[in-house]
Amino acid sequence: MPPPWSPRSDLVTATLIVVGTSRRSTTGTAHVVLVAGKGGVGSTTVAAALSLAAARNGADVLLVSVDGKPGLGPLLGGQPLGPTEHVLRTFTGGGRIRGRTIPPEQAFGDYLDLKGLGGIVRKAVSATSLDMVAASTPGLEHLLVLGKIKELERTRAADLIVVDAPPAGHAAPFIRSARGLQAVVSNGPVRQQADEVAEMLADPARAEALLVTLPEETPVNEVIELATEVEDDLRLALRPIVVNACWPDRPGLALTVTAAARESGVTLPASARSALVGSSAFGRARLEVQREQLLRLATAYPHAAVVLPRMPTPRLMPHHLELLADALDHAEALR
Amino acid sequence: MSGSLAEVLADAQLLVTCGPGGVGKTTSAAALGLAAARTGRRVCVVTIDPARRLADALGVDAAASNVPHEVVGAVEGKGSFSALMLDAEKTFDDLIIERAGDAAQSLLDNKVYRSIAGSLSGAQEYMAIERLHQLHHSGDFDLVVIDTPPSRHAIDVLEAPDRLVKFLSNPMYRTLTLPTRSLARVTNAASGAFLWTVKRLAGPSIVEDTLQFFRSLSGMEAGLRQRAAEMSTLLRDERTAFVLVSSPRAEAVDEAGFLATALHDGGFHLGGVVANMVHPLPPALPASFDATGVTGPLADHIAYHHDLRTLALAERDELEGLRLLARGAPLCEVPLLDHDVHDVPALIELAAMMTG
Repeated sequence: MPPPWSPRSDLVTATLIVVGTSRRSTTGTAHVVLVAGKGGVGSTTVAAALSLAAARNGADVLLVSVDGKPGLGPLLGGQPLGPTEHVLRTFTGGGRIRGRTIPPEQAFGDYLDLKGLGGIVRKAVSATSLDMVAASTPGLEHLLVLGKIKELERTRAADLIVVDAPPAGHAAPFIRSARGLQAVVSNGPVRQQADEVAEMLADPARAEALLVTLPEETPVNEVIELATEVEDDLRLALRPIVVNACWPDRPGLALTVTAAARESGVTLPASARSALVGSSAFGRARLEVQREQLLRLATAYPHAAVVLPRMPTPRLMPHHLELLADALDHAEALR
Repeated sequence: MSGSLAEVLADAQLLVTCGPGGVGKTTSAAALGLAAARTGRRVCVVTIDPARRLADALGVDAAASNVPHEVVGAVEGKGSFSALMLDAEKTFDDLIIERAGDAAQSLLDNKVYRSIAGSLSGAQEYMAIERLHQLHHSGDFDLVVIDTPPSRHAIDVLEAPDRLVKFLSNPMYRTLTLPTRSLARVTNAASGAFLWTVKRLAGPSIVEDTLQFFRSLSGMEAGLRQRAAEMSTLLRDERTAFVLVSSPRAEAVDEAGFLATALHDGGFHLGGVVANMVHPLPPALPASFDATGVTGPLADHIAYHHDLRTLALAERDELEGLRLLARGAPLCEVPLLDHDVHDVPALIELAAMMTG
């Protein structure tokens, strides 16, 4: 019996679709990469694969999970992530991956310390009162987390800081928080923080966003909207969009099973034929949807995109992540 | 204990779909509501943030939000199927107008209120429940189905009423709502530090607005508390069913497990589990057939079959996990379709799969 899943070259060749050129020449030297996408598209996986690819190539990587996904640590071969950073994995050649979360309460406390307000307020300002402070200053929680990331960037805490941004409806407000607060708050430390974060986000040498989507209609619509907003309104440089979980194209499915067998010169037993007919019909329809959606993305957003292979498992393991990192490396080499 | 989703749809007065993001929750809510409507019940589906084409199919858009209207061509006979898209800010405004009396206008104009109505964490969840309560008591519907908002922690929606009460009970909030005229007279150390922090962080004008907001709110505190308590009871009523929607992706299953535990611990009634977007399992190739060395187009068919079968088999293991967390409630497996669901006929097809 063959292994349930063996790495095959046809899955690892990520396709880099380049239609036109990137709006900015994203050199890939930015220190901070914000990875974002709608819930369920796999942006956390892509953040992990990106970290792995960079660390394997010798980079000192800090992976920050804003949402505190504990499973990220084990996926990268280390302990679950926590609020203090720890090394998840080291590589021969000097690269390593450290990981941590940034809980808003902690970012708030660190921020107060930084401004010399810590000691006095610490006792009074509990997590509940952060809720209240945050309520009266919308976007503050996001800004504090981004501010902490900016501090890490400013102190060169790593060669590359990969941020797994909050999913679903939260990705855009997260990235937008600095701008939003600039509009509401006219002076004081929050304004200063918002200015500094906005400055970092607008500098393509310091920060980029990497948006993740799936080859399906709704995710493609949403990533197009998000890309426009991030690039045009927020002036944040975009890496090529990553289309996650694409099945390898199988052009042979265009033929019926019988015609394909004839062309391949194979005599198919009836039981083999009937086993293939159902899966091929399903595959034909799904691959057609995938092709349509990739084309739609390329038309609506005529810039570079990277296609990552679908791993044939619902539960991603470290060796799958290696394959995804291979695919990202491959796409990088094509650029 | 067991039964089917069809039985749940026949008995429930409220149905709440919840689950992780990206598992087809909104579509499932619409299909479940439609299934009940097609058995003759008057059903309203409340959606939060539907994908554009589903919104078009249901006839809900920003212009016609917050008010239910009937979806044409969905039901024959005596049932009815209506939909609305939640407008959390509008619902919050209506609640203020209803409850705040004379203070309503100044509250609605308050800058802090405006930003809270739009963005306070939990405000959207709370308003979803509030709207559910209104529709339930309107008498216009036999069943109200609500799709929970996409949230970082899907549990937020269940805790929304309790959290509001907790927020209102915060001692700092109490001090802030005392009729003091100036900051200097706020003697409570905690609230003093709070105001000072806000002032240092965000500037004095925000502090004034914050104070005014909390004082205006104090007039309606009792009303809000009472409503929150009613909703808390309603959500735990035996005729309120929660339907957990998940896909077989491990991350989704793990999150669904967390949610199932939270439902159970919170005393909510799990009516069923929908395992959505399950890949079909093709039969194995016969052992006698040797696929090695096949080239040409047939190799593509064999490779696709292999990938699909590998994935589908692994998904069956994850489904066992979902079955366990259903704790005896019906589990409904819905296959990943070879087309997207974004019109009424496709919803009818999906409804039949969920209850057939």
